[in-house]
Amino acid sequence: MIRRHEPRDDRAAALDEEIRAHIAMATADRIARGESPDDAAAAARREFGNIGHIKEVTREAWGGMWFERLRQDTRYAWRTLARAPGFAAVAILTLALGIGATVAMFSVVNGILLRPLPFKDPNRLVLASYGLPRSLFAPKPGMVESQYLAYAEHAKLVESVASAGEHHVTLSGSGEATRLTGADVTPGLFGVLGVHPAIGRTFVDDDAEGGDAVIIGDGLWHERFGGAANVVGKPITLDGVRHTIVGVMPPAFNFPFNAKVWSPIKIVINPHESRLRTVIARLAPNVTPRQALAEVTAIIGPMPTPFGQNARFNPEVIPLRDLVVGDIKRSLYIFGGAVFFVLLIACANAANLLLMRATTRRHEIAVRVALGADRWRLIRQVLTESTLVAFLAGIVGLAVASAGVRALVSLAPPGLLPRADDVHIDLAAFAFTAAVCLVTGIGFGLAPALQITRKNLGSNISGTGRAIAGSRGALRAGFVVAEIALALILLTGAGLVIRSFLQLRSVELGFQPKPLVAMTLDLPAARYKDATAIHQLQDRLLENVAHLPGVISAAAVNWRPLGGALVKGDFKLPNEVRPPDGMNLSKPAITPGYFATMGIRLIAGREFTKDDDARSTNVAIVSKSVAEKLWPGRSPVGQLISSSSKPTAKDWLTVVGVVDDVVQGSVREQRDEAMYQPIAQINEPFFLNHISVVARAANDPGSLATSMRDAVHAIDIDQPVQSLGSMTSLISSTIAEPLFQARLLAVFSLCALFLAAIGIYGVLAYAVTERTREIGIRVAVGASSTAVVRMVVGRTFVLAIAGIAVGWIVSLELTHVLSSLLFHTKPTDPATFGLVGALLFLVALVATIIPARRATRVDPLIALRNE
Amino acid sequence: MPKHPLSRIELLQGTLDFIILQTLRWGSRHGYGIAQMIRATSNETLQVDTGSLYPALHRLERKKWIEAAWDLSENRQRVRVYRLTAAGRKQLAVERTRWEQISQAIAGIMRPPSTETKS
Repeated sequence: MIRRHEPRDDRAAALDEEIRAHIAMATADRIARGESPDDAAAAARREFGNIGHIKEVTREAWGGMWFERLRQDTRYAWRTLARAPGFAAVAILTLALGIGATVAMFSVVNGILLRPLPFKDPNRLVLASYGLPRSLFAPKPGMVESQYLAYAEHAKLVESVASAGEHHVTLSGSGEATRLTGADVTPGLFGVLGVHPAIGRTFVDDDAEGGDAVIIGDGLWHERFGGAANVVGKPITLDGVRHTIVGVMPPAFNFPFNAKVWSPIKIVINPHESRLRTVIARLAPNVTPRQALAEVTAIIGPMPTPFGQNARFNPEVIPLRDLVVGDIKRSLYIFGGAVFFVLLIACANAANLLLMRATTRRHEIAVRVALGADRWRLIRQVLTESTLVAFLAGIVGLAVASAGVRALVSLAPPGLLPRADDVHIDLAAFAFTAAVCLVTGIGFGLAPALQITRKNLGSNISGTGRAIAGSRGALRAGFVVAEIALALILLTGAGLVIRSFLQLRSVELGFQPKPLVAMTLDLPAARYKDATAIHQLQDRLLENVAHLPGVISAAAVNWRPLGGALVKGDFKLPNEVRPPDGMNLSKPAITPGYFATMGIRLIAGREFTKDDDARSTNVAIVSKSVAEKLWPGRSPVGQLISSSSKPTAKDWLTVVGVVDDVVQGSVREQRDEAMYQPIAQINEPFFLNHISVVARAANDPGSLATSMRDAVHAIDIDQPVQSLGSMTSLISSTIAEPLFQARLLAVFSLCALFLAAIGIYGVLAYAVTERTREIGIRVAVGASSTAVVRMVVGRTFVLAIAGIAVGWIVSLELTHVLSSLLFHTKPTDPATFGLVGALLFLVALVATIIPARRATRVDPLIALRNE
Repeated sequence: MPKHPLSRIELLQGTLDFIILQTLRWGSRHGYGIAQMIRATSNETLQVDTGSLYPALHRLERKKWIEAAWDLSENRQRVRVYRLTAAGRKQLAVERTRWEQISQAIAGIMRPPSTETKS
């Protein structure tokens, strides 16, 4: 009996024997019928048929043949590649670049967007909101206290719910005082998220009833407590009040608000003060956000609103991921698209290499066809080879990717990428790489495979292997055109984003950021209770800073331009004159000398002086567009304006000057219309306790920063400095995301350009080799080297122009996806299109140089002798 | 390829399986023997192509309708002989019923109605 699963080699041997026996018996029969032994053997063989073919079709009946074939094909492909190391190296490296970039980008996207948040069942976590429509004044989703309590009590579709509010605290005591972001949270928050402390405990309900429990984050634990295990129970001073540490959260836990410290809070309804608080809910299993939304509306809708009768509401249920991932999503998708283009170009290159090789292998393929290999088998062979190349490239690509991931993350300005710690090459990346390899392998192999195995190859056996530029040449040319087009599209996208970034950078700010140093302080209310205390501190501080060596002048402002905070409000005009609809003013309070220090142009009237103090007439300075809108054709100096909603006599401010408009909120927006008041005439601590000192440096702003910090601590050692730096660096941090986009797209498009150049070079170099004989003949009959160069370069011209034209057309359709990223730049910006087209054309020409030179050196005698 | 004097009839795959099973009904036989037997019993009408025969044998073996063993031929050569299994017998019965139905049906179609014949 034959065993079922005998080794394949044994079965193959058995089949051989079976066939041998068949032929032997047929021969014996023929001899018995009187044929001569030789004739009989030959006839039996002939009658039996193509032994190789019959073996193969029989083996197919065994099943599991695909694996056997794959093994054979792979071994064959490996040998083929080893025989052409040049081709293998170029194809593998080209693809490795594309695959590496793709995997690196995937790892970033995976870490930030796809990998689950570090919470239990994160897909069931949502933010529930019943806020005002998002606007400048209601930037975050949330609920006020009464709504939260009602929701927490009545919601049936949620398993648990918690609330959190952001607050800033000053940490003092050991070491330098620091301003920290903290969260006051209902004790259940950690349970809702399903997170556990690294050491100690999370909050219990009693913590919110009084007491001094706080939980600190891993970062703070290491910075302030040296990571000591006995930190639980230790005191910590926040806003001058002593608290006790009850727990430490694990590394990377900073939810919500990137908090470093958490305090417990009990939500109560205070009729005089309601605050929009973030509400985090864990949905019950199988509840959709849509159902949850209906419930939010049903519970809160009927409640009296805290925002006034006519307010419009915006109930929302937002998956938590959206909040954590935020706006970076769009950028990442665009980068994903860009990297896909790079991969496509790499594939086109590899496909072209394969096609070129196919031409030299035509003889071999023709022989195989003649020996009975069917077309499908040959196609599979080519595909195995291309997939093998892709997998080898994948291995190199993983190395590229692991370096690339670090590079990508480091290209991002600090703090821009949420969850940047989660970005690394992991199992998912490996699986993704394998999938990419398989798809690219088949993808770039398919067209060549179909092309190579086309019919009528039989004639190639007798041929000399000399190529005729036919349809295969057209396919190659098509690939080159596609590569140029893809590179052009990518470069255009990058060009647009870079141009937009340059536009952002060159926005006229209305002040001179160089060489300014800005230092921002948040004065804790516990220590600086009233305006007098704040004014005193500020006067002393300005005095000290103004006398620092290297300081030309110094001034203070409550909300500095581009400081991340913007206070805007309405205003009144005398005699019941109504201000234009929707006109709001930014209202900075400043010290004398502010405009000079900032380099803001004084257009009319005067600056504030020391005499504009609490005892003198209340005055204001307005910006240019305010003056033009409110008092067109009249002198603004001497006009009255008030920021009070019901002005009494002392609330009227006399305009004493006009200055230029300044970008206050964001470089992306219009310059703000502003009304300045002297700090000395402001009394509400709310308008005073956030303060920036700006100093114009004589030369190096860097060293000045340190001495300014010292100046603060000379006055109050416990006062933290919230931000400090040269104005230019502070401004660039506000355009960090566009910078990241510009950098990343630039990198990808350079990859694309490089690959496209290689592709063009490869095709032309091959074309020259292919046409050596033709060129030889031309030279022999007297063609000048100029004519030869023209012949080679002419081909590039055609390909490049076709590629650029196609790329332009597609770009016109595609670049609008960028429009939301672009600032003062049209997605069809002709300058960018033109420049990029010219660049690609130039690169194409450069790629021609070597092949063209080689063409001029063709020796007609040698070329013809090759026949 | 030179044509055989008797034009060869291409066999459908299922039909070949049926014929092989039928051939093995009278005892075990090797591949060459099966081919010879088919040729002889069909009065040389059916010529089984080896490219169809051996895949069919191995396929039937895989389906466990037939099983194979090594034996020695008359001229002392090791040959692989096939014989029907119990499952093969059952399958043969099924195939035969099906075959009879089909051949009756085809015969019915092919037999021209007498009213429309012109001679």
